[in-house]
Amino acid sequence: MADWSEQHVRRLFWRAGFGATAEEAGVWAQRGRRATLDHVVDGPVEGRKLRGPAPRVDRRGLDPVNEWGDDVLWWLDQMLRTNYPLVERMTLFWHDHFATSDQDAPLMLRQNRMLRGHALGSFPALLRDVTHDPAMQLFLSLADSSKGAPNENYARELMELFTLGSGYGERDIRETARALTGFRSNWKDGRFGGIAFDREQHDGGVKRIFGRAGRFGVDDVIALVCDHPRHAPFLVAKLWSYFIAEPPSRETVRGLAATYRRSGLSIKPVVRAILEHPMLYRRLDAPDMVKWPVVYVAGAMRASRTFVTAGYPTWLLASMGQQLFHPPSVAGWDWGAAWLSSNSMKQRFTFGNHLIENGPAKVEKGSVKVTIGARGHYALAHAAVGSPQVSTHTREVLTHLAAGWFHDIPASWRAKAGWRAESLQRTLRHLLLTCPESQLC
Amino acid sequence: MHARTKGRLLAGAAVVAALAPAGGVASAARRAPSTAVGVGAREFRLTAYRVSVPAGIVRFNLANYGQDVHDLVVATAGGRRLARSVEVRPGGRTTLRLRLRPGSYRLVCDLADHAALGMHATIRVR
Repeated sequence: MADWSEQHVRRLFWRAGFGATAEEAGVWAQRGRRATLDHVVDGPVEGRKLRGPAPRVDRRGLDPVNEWGDDVLWWLDQMLRTNYPLVERMTLFWHDHFATSDQDAPLMLRQNRMLRGHALGSFPALLRDVTHDPAMQLFLSLADSSKGAPNENYARELMELFTLGSGYGERDIRETARALTGFRSNWKDGRFGGIAFDREQHDGGVKRIFGRAGRFGVDDVIALVCDHPRHAPFLVAKLWSYFIAEPPSRETVRGLAATYRRSGLSIKPVVRAILEHPMLYRRLDAPDMVKWPVVYVAGAMRASRTFVTAGYPTWLLASMGQQLFHPPSVAGWDWGAAWLSSNSMKQRFTFGNHLIENGPAKVEKGSVKVTIGARGHYALAHAAVGSPQVSTHTREVLTHLAAGWFHDIPASWRAKAGWRAESLQRTLRHLLLTCPESQLC
Repeated sequence: MHARTKGRLLAGAAVVAALAPAGGVASAARRAPSTAVGVGAREFRLTAYRVSVPAGIVRFNLANYGQDVHDLVVATAGGRRLARSVEVRPGGRTTLRLRLRPGSYRLVCDLADHAALGMHATIRVR
């Protein structure tokens, strides 16, 4: 196989974004590996932009703060129209990593903007803003944790889920909780007035964290967890598992951790190293990562040039097990095969139905001739849904299906059986959108 | 997690409720023209996401982020109750739709002592 082919581009574009169109696969295969990685990781030279029509649902623009489900549509629209998909994929990663739920819509949207701003930047800066973020503070009771009653929720998740995973003890959590006291939430007549630091409520005493003693405060805690020897391996291994299904070797983790530390704990160099890794391009003919529901939905919509014009993606995503802005717990979503429950798969099939009834992939009456032959029918359907990568086996099965589609009709009638050709197109397009390889990347 | 809702008519205010899946779109309640106001409920705060709205039909989209059952009552500044939503379970949602004239209105949860504990807000109709 060539060093850099359309298959390489498709693999990279799915793992780091929401798939590649046939045109993108061709263009970037020609430009080569390095240029493609520069484009994917650093973004287009013209800067980050949204392309295509702004979303309109029920003849109105979106109101993600006040209308239910519009928050999901708003983010989905960012994924559909961005020219820098890796930023959205990383925002999604951080949304799962720093999972926050059950908070007011304005605060969740504010957190989303914050995560996007730090998507590929400095981890300590991201962690600092997450720690000060109102939605997170309210979710994990860091707001209003006082020196008289320090709340350990945030300190515990900070170490277990956000930065370390292991290598700390209960005392470290308790002492960190003391160091993080002093944030006060302000409310007036139900309206959130922000979070302020109240020195009077902060425990200014000496704390002992990871064997070091001092009058630690918030910034010290951020520095301590980021300096901890478990932090770099923990974070790079999680980032790896977001892009590559096969677990990393110890040597790979050591190498990525060294890259991360050398960069001053910057996220982009690690992501680039993972996206360059040969493991990402292993078995290009046998994808092994389950697409997250929103990646599946956004990818299919991007490929078929479908934009947000209806609300169905919101409730279908929830039924598929991924309601954006509402992760199931502070640990985020379960990845991998957990996305493919029988109900979730049924909803993916339902989504395929919506896509071929509500967008450019729709089969218009009178648009298909019977006489184009089985290969012609397959090619037409394949192009209509964005020319996705499918296996030879699937292509043969679908072509065989097309070949037999008109057998029960007398030959003399076939030329006029356009309605039957349209039902074949709907079937082929739906199967291409929902076949096994469309669920994987 | 579906929030089944049923409107009540109180004090002559037209009230419409909607049935919608969590995270879904209450298309039945989107009969234009109307203004949506997101409202978040939890122990013990009630947060309206708009400070003021134009006079006319207002849809209050209530989400219960708390752990107790809550409801939403819309009342005049003088305390006259105009409409009340059904009770919403934790994680549930409902829509309360009514026509409002210019003035100041109180939003409260009238279950138990929730209002006294802080579940109240104000919205201005201009």
